[in-house]
Amino acid sequence: MDMDMDMLTSTDDHIRRLRDQVTATESQLRTLRAQLQQAEQAGESARQLQEAYQGGFPAEWIEETLGALDDEAVADIATKLRQDGGFEGAPSPPTPPPTLDAREAVAKQRRWPLRDEEYKRYGRQMIMPEIGLHGQLRLQNAKVLIVGLGGLGCPAAAYLAGAGVGTLGLVDGDTVEVSNLHRQILHKKKTVGKLKVDSALEYLQALNPNVKYAPYRAHLSPEKAGSIFERYDIVLDCTDHPTSRYLISDTCILTGKPLVSASALKTEGQLLVLNNPPRSPGDTTGGPCYRCVFPRPPPAETIQSCSEGGILGPVVGVMGVLQALEAIKLITAKPEPSMPDWMDMTLDGSPPASAEEVKPTMLLFSAYSRPQFRSVRLRSRRNDCAACSLQATITHHSLASGLTDYTAFCGTTTTTTSPLSFLPSSARITARDFARLPTDGSNILIDVRDSTQYSICALRGSTNIPWNGGGNGSGEAWVQQAIDMGVLSEYEDGRERFVICRRGEDSQMVVRAVRERFGGGYADGLEGDGEVDGRWGGSMGVRVRDIRGGFGAWREEVDRTWPKY
Amino acid sequence: MATPKAPADHFTLLYFAAATSFTRKQHDFLPAPMPLSQLYDTVEAKYPGIKAKVLESSALTVNLEYVDAEEEGAKGGQGTVIQSGDEVAIIPPVSSG
Repeated sequence: MDMDMDMLTSTDDHIRRLRDQVTATESQLRTLRAQLQQAEQAGESARQLQEAYQGGFPAEWIEETLGALDDEAVADIATKLRQDGGFEGAPSPPTPPPTLDAREAVAKQRRWPLRDEEYKRYGRQMIMPEIGLHGQLRLQNAKVLIVGLGGLGCPAAAYLAGAGVGTLGLVDGDTVEVSNLHRQILHKKKTVGKLKVDSALEYLQALNPNVKYAPYRAHLSPEKAGSIFERYDIVLDCTDHPTSRYLISDTCILTGKPLVSASALKTEGQLLVLNNPPRSPGDTTGGPCYRCVFPRPPPAETIQSCSEGGILGPVVGVMGVLQALEAIKLITAKPEPSMPDWMDMTLDGSPPASAEEVKPTMLLFSAYSRPQFRSVRLRSRRNDCAACSLQATITHHSLASGLTDYTAFCGTTTTTTSPLSFLPSSARITARDFARLPTDGSNILIDVRDSTQYSICALRGSTNIPWNGGGNGSGEAWVQQAIDMGVLSEYEDGRERFVICRRGEDSQMVVRAVRERFGGGYADGLEGDGEVDGRWGGSMGVRVRDIRGGFGAWREEVDRTWPKY
Repeated sequence: MATPKAPADHFTLLYFAAATSFTRKQHDFLPAPMPLSQLYDTVEAKYPGIKAKVLESSALTVNLEYVDAEEEGAKGGQGTVIQSGDEVAIIPPVSSG
């Protein structure tokens, strides 16, 4: 009996335990279901938020959503928005403010991410789906460095300031000259002689005071470039020389910044978006750098500046405006929409081309050609590139220590202040002395500037035979033309020839070419070979001299009214 | 000025920037087919001095696609051959601005 009772008790206990277990499990299941539902709701809200974020979203909406959903997933998105979308001052998870007034003040402050004036100012670009509020906020948080405030940098800076870029760094060591004003649209007559940076600041501050401007009143140096670039998101190369082009490209690779590079001369321009996406050296998925496209700089003596070659204002303007456009596109680019797995394969089974696989291009602008624009597909990174390959030799250290010598790499160039001088002084005459020579037809003046410059201003009685770079460089063609025109003669005629050009370099090339053709020495016969048959180069010596310093010197020494162009 | 179409069995060689200044031309028509590796020597023969002064520092494209002249030269007979009707361009770097 006792035993029976014991058995019964134990069975009851067993049943009770089972019941408890069922109840507990059911409760656990309920909790799990509730958690599942909550998670699904949170997920849905997060998705909606994500969608809204891609097209631009009202600030109070995200704040309300954030307040309603105290969930990690949502908090993550908010964080991401702040970092990725550049949403400065976005609401953080709410901590109750002490008073109602304070709460209202905070809400008022937070309700709209832009100020009233900014909606008006940027509205025309914000209503485009390519920009939206999202893009505007990204612009507001972007830091763009513009190196060079000339024909490219001026329009680029104006458009980026106008678009509301948060911080604009401005680098230039030059001062404004009158000859800049036809194309460098930030500068004006009143700022001639001022630093270009200060002249630009004046204009840009007046245009958009919301932008933070960071002036660097010096030319970019290899020692300082890295530390400046570090502070920016994107760099614009608006400079005018190969040395700075290589320096800027190298520094962009080292600091991981995309580079929008443009250039212009005469009637043509080039535009390149480089190191995009920006990746470390050796990573072949990164965009090519300037060295990948142009591994060898052009010979120094062939490089023309705008003062030598000329430049049409709107040509360089177009290129600078395009730089601003590419910068805005880079800043406001939306993240790639994530695709469901089944879309990862295209119909033919190959993986879809992602944006990064699209090869970079170089845009060529040629104002007087048709088509005016040509887009050329570029190569990817060179596997032996000195800057962006695994074999890169250019490092922060090589730049800072001067081991990477850009002047040596690009060659020494002549500057406008000191023209080349390679003829012996016996083969030259000063403008002042030339002006004192008799005008009785005993000498012949040959002006070797091109016909366009000759028609701007010329000395009466001079003959124009353009040097034009000497044809193939040797000048043979020029000499032949001069002979054909009867300006040079095989036979001594008792007259001396004088050669003049704009700055006094081409005229020396001409004198050298004439001497090479006829042999013999220079005017005073000191270096003459002393041929005695009465021909050029005979005992009289080659009677041809260059006018030292060309028309620049003519203006300084003889005629102050001579046009300086 | 639009570039006229190349005559039969020729390709168009476009010159930009310093290449235009050197040749004083916008373009030339050269006989095709021509191995790309022979292009620079052909142009040098036509314009002595252009190789060192312009070509060696230029970008080169065939039908708007960048090609590496040096890599092509190393390929010898295996490299790209320019076909008649192709548009080849010599693009020297412009550094001014």
